[in-house]
Amino acid sequence: MTYCVEHSSKLELELRRGVVVVATLSQLRAPRYGYELRQALADKGMPIEEGTLYPLLRRLESQGLLKSEWNTEGGSPRRYYSLNADGQKLLEKLTESWQGMNDAMGRLLKEDGQ
Amino acid sequence: MNANDVIESYVTDVAVQLPRKQRNDVAFELRTLINEGLQDKAEAAGHDVDTAMAIEFLRAFGRPEDVAARYRPTLIIIDPADGHRFLRTSVIGLVIIWGLGLLKFFQQPIGSGWDFLQALGQWWGTALIPSMWWPGVLVVGFGLASWVRKQSPQPSKWKPRAGDRINGGRAAMVMGIVGILCGLFVLVDPRWMLDFFWSGRAAPAAYEALTYTDTFLRHQAPFLLVLLLLNIPLLIVVIVKGRWSALLRRMEIWLGLVTCAAMAWTILDGPVFMASASDRAVKGFMVLITAFTLIYYGVKLHRSVRPAPN
Repeated sequence: MTYCVEHSSKLELELRRGVVVVATLSQLRAPRYGYELRQALADKGMPIEEGTLYPLLRRLESQGLLKSEWNTEGGSPRRYYSLNADGQKLLEKLTESWQGMNDAMGRLLKEDGQ
Repeated sequence: MNANDVIESYVTDVAVQLPRKQRNDVAFELRTLINEGLQDKAEAAGHDVDTAMAIEFLRAFGRPEDVAARYRPTLIIIDPADGHRFLRTSVIGLVIIWGLGLLKFFQQPIGSGWDFLQALGQWWGTALIPSMWWPGVLVVGFGLASWVRKQSPQPSKWKPRAGDRINGGRAAMVMGIVGILCGLFVLVDPRWMLDFFWSGRAAPAAYEALTYTDTFLRHQAPFLLVLLLLNIPLLIVVIVKGRWSALLRRMEIWLGLVTCAAMAWTILDGPVFMASASDRAVKGFMVLITAFTLIYYGVKLHRSVRPAPN
């Protein structure tokens, strides 16, 4: 039973790994800072741990998909991230792939359920 | 230690592992984000942020090593596809090195428990610890192979290989026949070598060193001669057909195994040459050939694939 639980959480983690990137990119059409982005994702049913999300933002930026800038006006300084042109293109491509896979999986799981 | 100290400690532990150029910027952002997250948590709990809450929050955040690693692209030194091969090669190599080391140190006379411990200590210091060069070399080799594959704009494509192909083509088979003829030449009378290279002017001691014993000439020499000769028609058939058939492969393996058995008999039975130095040298050479042949067939057997349901 323990093995089953461990195995299922590992598989779930693998499933989430790719989805987390698409989800993050999808919420950065407008500039957002880390904590705000996390809240937005959680509100829409995709909670991502801070220790995963914040480094991911930096990685996506270093891969040339996001632009970012510090905003020091007002309260505490915040670094805002948003998609650049390459990030926008990638999001469109990933969205198309995701929708294709989602439709296929929907059909497959429905067949299994019958 | 208050909550701020805890946060500072965590941020430093993460940032110190990052490249210098992004270290301070990430640390600044991370501290702000942690503070904001903690504030929300404290509001939900209905009290101020305290040390226990900060520690609990940061433990959920992840180990600083893990978080720092996530800030950078994953570094793969050895391709996951090579992982098992790397492990297998490392273990086999280490076992051979340790085994040879054990043989060397336990050949000396062991009369007491102290002698045994001394030999074990020598083995530990001079064979086991230095043997770590082997995994090191493999890491460099596999790492370079992985790097080269990544540099290539188009990964090398898989090409089908015929199972019955001749490795090295017909030229390799011809070279094999030439090698066997040389072996026959030496086996019939090794002193011909001296005549060939020194035109019969070699020292008498050299002729003496390459003189077979009567026992060898009467017992093993005829068998070894026939076994060597049998290789020639086998290779000629392979050259003519242009490929190995299943029957030819089986014949090659049986011939190889019987030759190994004949060589083992030669090694164990008695002297091959009258001179002990030549005898030791030729037997050492035979041990190497036998070991190499058996390992070759063993690896081939281990790697053979015969599709069948379990």
